[in-house]
Amino acid sequence: MIHEVTWVGAAVKALIALLLVSAVAGFGTYIERKVLAWMQRRPGPAHVGPFGLLQLAADGIKLFTKEDFIPQFSNRLIFSIAPVITAGTAFMALAAVPIFPDFTFPEWIPLLGGVFVPSIASDVNIGILFILAAMAAGLYGPLLAGMSQQNKWGIIGAARTAVQFLSYEVVTGLSLLAPIMLVGSLSLVDFNDHQAAGIGSWLIWQQPLAFVLFLIAGFAETNRTPFDLLEHEAEIVSGFVTEYSGLRWGLFFVGEYANMITIGILASVIFCGGYSDFLFIPGWLMMGLKVSFFFFLMLWVRASWPHIRPDQLMWLSWKVLMPLAVVNVVITGIVMMAIG
Amino acid sequence: MSDITITIDGQVCQGKEGEFILNIARANGIFIPAICYLTRCSPTLACRICLVEADGKRVYSCNAKAKDGMEIVTQNEEILEERRAIMEVYDVNHPLQCGVCDQSGECELQNYTLELGVDSQSFAIPDTKREATTWSSVLHYDPGLCIVCERCVTVCKDMVGDAALSTGPRGGEKLSKELKERVPKDAYAMWNKLQKSVIVPSNGTGETNCSDCGECIAVCPVGALVSRDFQYTSNAWDLTRIPAVSAHSSDGFQIYYEVKPTSISDRTPKIYRVTNEWHYTSLDGAARFAYDFENRGVQKDPEAFAQAVDALKKAETIRFNAVITNEEAQMLQTLKEKLGVRLYNPQVRAYQKFLAAYSAASGQRLYSGDNAQIMRESDFVISVGTHLRNDAPGSRHAFNNVQKMNKGAGLYFHPVGDTLIPGMGKTVSTFAHKPGLEEAVLYLILDLFADREKLPEEVQNYLDDFHTTETKTIQEKVMVDVTETVVDEETGEQKEVTRKVPQMQEKEIEIVRNGLVELLGKESDAFAAELEKMLKKKESFSLMVGEDLYYHAQAENLARLVALAEKACGFTLVVIPPKSNALGVALICDLDDAASGYTVGYNEKGDFRLSALGGGDLDMPALNQQEGTLTALDKRVVPTNAALPYEGYELNDLLGAVVGAPQETVDWTERLPQEKGYKDIAFDALSNHYDSDGSDNRGYRLESIRCEVIMDEVEIPKTYSPLEGEIAIRLNPGRQFSDFTDKAHQIFEPFALYASPAKAAMLGERVEVALGDRRLTLSVVADDKMGGEIVAIPDFKSAEDIYGLFGAQRYRTVTLRKA
Amino acid sequence: MSLEQFKNRNVGQQQYRMLDLGKTPETSWGKFKQVVSRSLKVELMIGLGVTFGIMIRTLFRGETHTIRYPFEKIPISRRYRAIHEMKRLLESGHYRCIGCGLCEKICISNCIAMDTRYDENQRKEVSEYTINFGRCIFCGYCAEVCPELAIVHGDRYETASQQRASFSLFEDMLTPIDRLKQQKEYPGFGAVSPHADENIKKTPLAY
Repeated sequence: MIHEVTWVGAAVKALIALLLVSAVAGFGTYIERKVLAWMQRRPGPAHVGPFGLLQLAADGIKLFTKEDFIPQFSNRLIFSIAPVITAGTAFMALAAVPIFPDFTFPEWIPLLGGVFVPSIASDVNIGILFILAAMAAGLYGPLLAGMSQQNKWGIIGAARTAVQFLSYEVVTGLSLLAPIMLVGSLSLVDFNDHQAAGIGSWLIWQQPLAFVLFLIAGFAETNRTPFDLLEHEAEIVSGFVTEYSGLRWGLFFVGEYANMITIGILASVIFCGGYSDFLFIPGWLMMGLKVSFFFFLMLWVRASWPHIRPDQLMWLSWKVLMPLAVVNVVITGIVMMAIG
Repeated sequence: MSDITITIDGQVCQGKEGEFILNIARANGIFIPAICYLTRCSPTLACRICLVEADGKRVYSCNAKAKDGMEIVTQNEEILEERRAIMEVYDVNHPLQCGVCDQSGECELQNYTLELGVDSQSFAIPDTKREATTWSSVLHYDPGLCIVCERCVTVCKDMVGDAALSTGPRGGEKLSKELKERVPKDAYAMWNKLQKSVIVPSNGTGETNCSDCGECIAVCPVGALVSRDFQYTSNAWDLTRIPAVSAHSSDGFQIYYEVKPTSISDRTPKIYRVTNEWHYTSLDGAARFAYDFENRGVQKDPEAFAQAVDALKKAETIRFNAVITNEEAQMLQTLKEKLGVRLYNPQVRAYQKFLAAYSAASGQRLYSGDNAQIMRESDFVISVGTHLRNDAPGSRHAFNNVQKMNKGAGLYFHPVGDTLIPGMGKTVSTFAHKPGLEEAVLYLILDLFADREKLPEEVQNYLDDFHTTETKTIQEKVMVDVTETVVDEETGEQKEVTRKVPQMQEKEIEIVRNGLVELLGKESDAFAAELEKMLKKKESFSLMVGEDLYYHAQAENLARLVALAEKACGFTLVVIPPKSNALGVALICDLDDAASGYTVGYNEKGDFRLSALGGGDLDMPALNQQEGTLTALDKRVVPTNAALPYEGYELNDLLGAVVGAPQETVDWTERLPQEKGYKDIAFDALSNHYDSDGSDNRGYRLESIRCEVIMDEVEIPKTYSPLEGEIAIRLNPGRQFSDFTDKAHQIFEPFALYASPAKAAMLGERVEVALGDRRLTLSVVADDKMGGEIVAIPDFKSAEDIYGLFGAQRYRTVTLRKA
Repeated sequence: MSLEQFKNRNVGQQQYRMLDLGKTPETSWGKFKQVVSRSLKVELMIGLGVTFGIMIRTLFRGETHTIRYPFEKIPISRRYRAIHEMKRLLESGHYRCIGCGLCEKICISNCIAMDTRYDENQRKEVSEYTINFGRCIFCGYCAEVCPELAIVHGDRYETASQQRASFSLFEDMLTPIDRLKQQKEYPGFGAVSPHADENIKKTPLAY
C-alpha cells in the first residue's frame, strides 16, 4: 500500500522532528552532565527537581533571561545571523533524515484523521547529499560568528572552524561513498530498506572501516572532544562563542546537539539497520536506542580521551583518514566488480 | 648622722648611719624582696620576706640598721627556702581567680610567687569566710584577697596621718602543732599573725571616715583594696600611663593618668584611674580621684575664636585663677606686656604680695625649704596659718611624717580647731587661737625658738614685756622627822623613836608666765612643761606658713616676721602656695589688685569667658588635656602631659592671633622668666622621674636667687584685735580645690557650710549666711574632725565668687540664721 | 639553609617513578609504525573501559566523592580554627567568660575588645565583647590562653556574610540558652590538653 505524502503529513513530520530534536537537545545537556559526572565519580546535577531533572528548566530560564548584548565593534548583522545559520542548517539537514517509521493518524482524530506521516519529511532522492550539503553549510555559523565579534579568540575559533570542518567534510564524503556504492541510492529510506533483513544485513559488517571513518569525521563535524578545537576553553577561552551569551549562545548549543543527533541518526540508518523492527522491538524504539547509543558514545569519549592539537588534527585528516577512505572506496569497487 | 659604707652581695654601698639595710639596698638598685615595707614609712615586720644575712646573722633588712662595714648577703639557700615557704603560706587560701582581680598583672603576690618559684603548695588550713565591704565612697575592701601586709595601715598612719585603718580579728582557725613543726620559723610566725588578722577601719565602725585620699589603694600589693569606681573596669596592662602632675593642690604631686578607650563603641581615650610612684610620693584625694575634669567633645569653632580674638583685643582685664600652666601664665604676662591689659587673679595676688614682702625682708626670692626636705631632715615642725588637713595635703603629709619617722614634734597654730592633728604624734601641740592673732603667733615663735641675739632690740623688748614673773604658792611634799615616845609592850620600857613622815607644805616659787601663750589661749606653765618635753633631742626645725597670713590685714608685716623667724630661728621655711600653680603664677605674672572695664575671664567669670570647664564662650583645654609645666610647692618646675585628646583652640592659638606666638604651647617652656629662677630648658628636654633612692628628678628646681634686702623692720603691734562673734573662714572641704575638682565624678564633697558636729547640730540642716550684703543659703555639713565655733565656707565654685565676698581677709564675721 | 635545600624542603618522599615513553620516532617509517601500533593497540579502548567502569560504580555502588555541601558537611579537623564560640556553664547557663582580658591581651592582631564592670552581684561582668573579624587571623591564641574554656574555635567555617557584625558580637558567638543542652565541649583549639591532670601539682585542702 502506497500512501500519498500530503503537505500536511510532511508538515507534521517536520514539526515532530523540530520539537523532538529541540527537546532532545535540551535533554541532551542534562544527560551529558550526568554521564560526565558519573564517569568522574560525581552525582551531577541533583538539586533542581527529582534527580536534578529540572536543571534543564533552570538553565532554560537562565538562558532566556540573560542579557543579550552585542559587542561594540562587532558586525551586528552578521553577529546576529551566525547562530541562526548554525541552528537553521542543523534542522535543515534533519529534513532528509528518517526519524521514526511512517504511520497514519487514526480516523477518529479530528482534522488530522487519516493523514499519513512519512518516516522522512522530504524523501528527496539525493538524501545523503542533501544532508552533507546542509551540514557543510553549517560551517558558516561558527565561521561568521568568530569573525564578526572583534575578538581574537573568536578569530582563532573561526579559523579553526574553516580548517577543521573543510578537512573532515572530505573524510565524511569519502567514507560514505562506499556504502552508497553498495546500496546504489542516495535516499536514506533505501538504505533502511536495504538493511531491513536483520542484523546480519547491516552495512557495518560490510563496511567497518567506512563506519569508523564516518564516526571519527562525525565527531569532528559536530565539534566534539577529542576534536573540540573550535571552542576549546583551555586554549582560546570559548573560541567562536566567546562573545555570545543568552539566547544566541543557546542557538549554537541547540545546533550542536541537533548535529550530534543527525550524526547519530545517519550512523544508525546507514550502517546499523535504521528503523527496521528488530525481533520484538519496534522500529521506532530500535532507532531511539541506536541514536542514544551514539549520543552516549560521544559523551563517553569526551569523558575518556584528551583532545588533540590542531596540527595533529590536520595530520590525522589528510595523512591518515582520507587515504584510508580512498583505499576503502577502491577496495569496495574492486570487490563489487569481482562479485559482479 | 654620718656616712657609712656597707657591702651588699659584694657591692659597696654608701648610706647613712642608722638607715635601714633595705633602704640602702633600694637606693643602690639592689633587689631584696619585701612586701610589707614602704620606703618612707616605718617597718611593719609583717611579711618577713626581706630576710637577709648581715655579718652571718639573719636579720630583717627592713628594720635592721646598717652599721659601718657590714657585710650583707641577700640570698642563700636557707633564706630562699624561708622566703619560698613564706610565699607558699601567702598562697594558702588565696583565691586563684586572678582573671577577675584588678591587680592581676601588677600584683606583688603574683610577682613574688613567680619570682620565688612557688609551683606547689604543701600547707593547708580551713578558710574563713570574709565578706567584701565598702569602707567609704571610694574604698572597696575584699578581705578574701588581703594578705594583711598592713601597708595600707602603715601608709595611712605614717604618711597620710588619718590612721583610719588598723588590724582587727579575723576569726581564723588556729595553726595546729603539726604545722608548727613543718612550717619554717619565719613563715610560721608570719602565718600565725596572718591567720589572726584582717584590716578594719580603726574607728570600730564599718566606715573609715578618713580623707579618702586612696593612698591605701595605691600601696595595696594585691587586689584587696581598689577604688569602687575602678573596680572590674580594666586590667592593668590595658592602661597607658601618662606621666603628669596633679592639677589641684599646690604640691604638684607626681601622678600617672591611666588611659584606655572609653568603651568598645567609643574609642576616644578616657582616664580610668590615677596612680603614683607611691614609694616616693603620696597623693591627696583630689589628685587621685579628681581626674575626669577634661573639656570633652570640643571642636574648633572659628566663629567663637574670632570673637575671642576681638574680646582679647578690647579687654582691659583678664581674670584667671591658679589652675593654669606656667606657659599659659607666661602667655598672659606677654599679653599684659604687649597690650597693657590688667591681670586679675584674687587667688594668687595675696600670695604674690606676701612673697614679695618676704623677699624684701629676707633677701631671698623664695623660701628656703620644701616638704621633701622637711620629711627628710626635720624633727620639729611648726605650722602657722594653714588648715593643714584641707589646704595643703602635701604639707600635712610632711607634718605627720616628721612625727612618725623622725621622732619629731609639732606645733600647730590655726583658729579652726582640728581633732586630727593632735593625734598625729604624742608631742604635737595645737593652738586654736582667735583669728587676727597671727602676729602674736609669730612673736611667740620668735620668743620660743629665736636666737635672742639675732633679734632686733625692739622685738626683744617687746617679747620681754610678755614675760611676767609671779610667785605662786604650791603644795610640796616634804619629809619631816617626827620623834615619838613608844612604850615597849614586853618590857614596858619607854623609847624614843625617830621616823620620817611625809608632810604637805606650802612653798612659794617663782614662775615665768608667757603672756603670748595665754593670749593664744593656753595655760602658760602647762605649755612650758609640754614644750620642754617636745624640745628634747630636737635639732632641725621647720616652719610652714599658709593662706591665713596672706589674706590678713597685716600680711606684709607677717611676711617680715616670717623672714625674721627664718633667719633668727634657723627654720627650714615653706610658704605654702594656696592652690594648684599659684607659685608659678606669682612668679611669672605681674598681677593687678583689681579688675576694671571689659573683662575676659579664663575659667573665671567675665564679659567674655574662656573656659576649660565647658559652657564658656570659647572652649579651652583642661589641665589633663595639655602639655606644659607647673611650679610646685617644692620650688620645682614639673612637666605634665596631655592624657586626653583636645581638638579645639588653645590659649597659644589665641595669642598667635592677637600678638604672635610660637607654634606650640610648650615652646613657651624655655621662655619662662629666667630672672625669676626659671631655666632655658625645652619642654622635651625635661626629665621626669624619681631615682631609686627617692630623689626627685622631675623637671628642674628653680634657682634660688638672692635679692636685695629692702625692708626688714617688723612692726610692733600696739594691740591685737581678734575677730569676735560668729566667724566664717574661706576654707574648702578636703578634696575640693576648684571647679575642676567639683566637676570630677568621684569627688562628693558638696558646696555647703562646714562646721564641727556640735556647731552643725546647733545650726540645723540649712542656714542662711549673711556676708555683708550678700546672702547665701547653704546646707550644713558636719565635719567631725573640725572643732570649735568657726564655720567654713568653700570657695571652689568660682560662680559663687566667695573670694569677692571675703576680699582681702580669710576670716569674716557672718550672721547665721536657720533657713 | 641553602637555596637548593630550601627549594627541596619537604617535597614528598622523592620516590618518583619515571614513565618509559620510548623514543620519539624520527623517520617517517618510524612515525608510521608508531601510528599503526597506537591505533591498533587497545589503549584507547582501555581508557573508555576505565571511565565506563567508574560510571557503573558511581551509579550502582554510590561511590562518589561529592559531598552535597550545604546539606552534608564532613567533620572538620580539630586543628581547624573557625569562627569563635563562647561557651556557657552547663549547670547554671551563665556564660563562662569572666572578663579576665587575657584573650584581649594575647591577641596579636589586636582584634578582641571587651568592656567589663562591677555588677549587682559584686562580680566582674562582661558588658560588651567583640572580635573584629576583619582583623582576626584565626591564630587560636585566644582559645589557648582562656583559663575558663570560655572562648574556643568552633566548627562554623562558613564566614561569608553580608555584614561582619553578624559574627562579632558576644551574643552571636554565645551558645543560645535554649540550646545549652546541645552544647559540646570543643576538642580542638583551646581544649584541655590530653594529659592535663598528670601535669598539675595537687594543692592540699584542709576541708
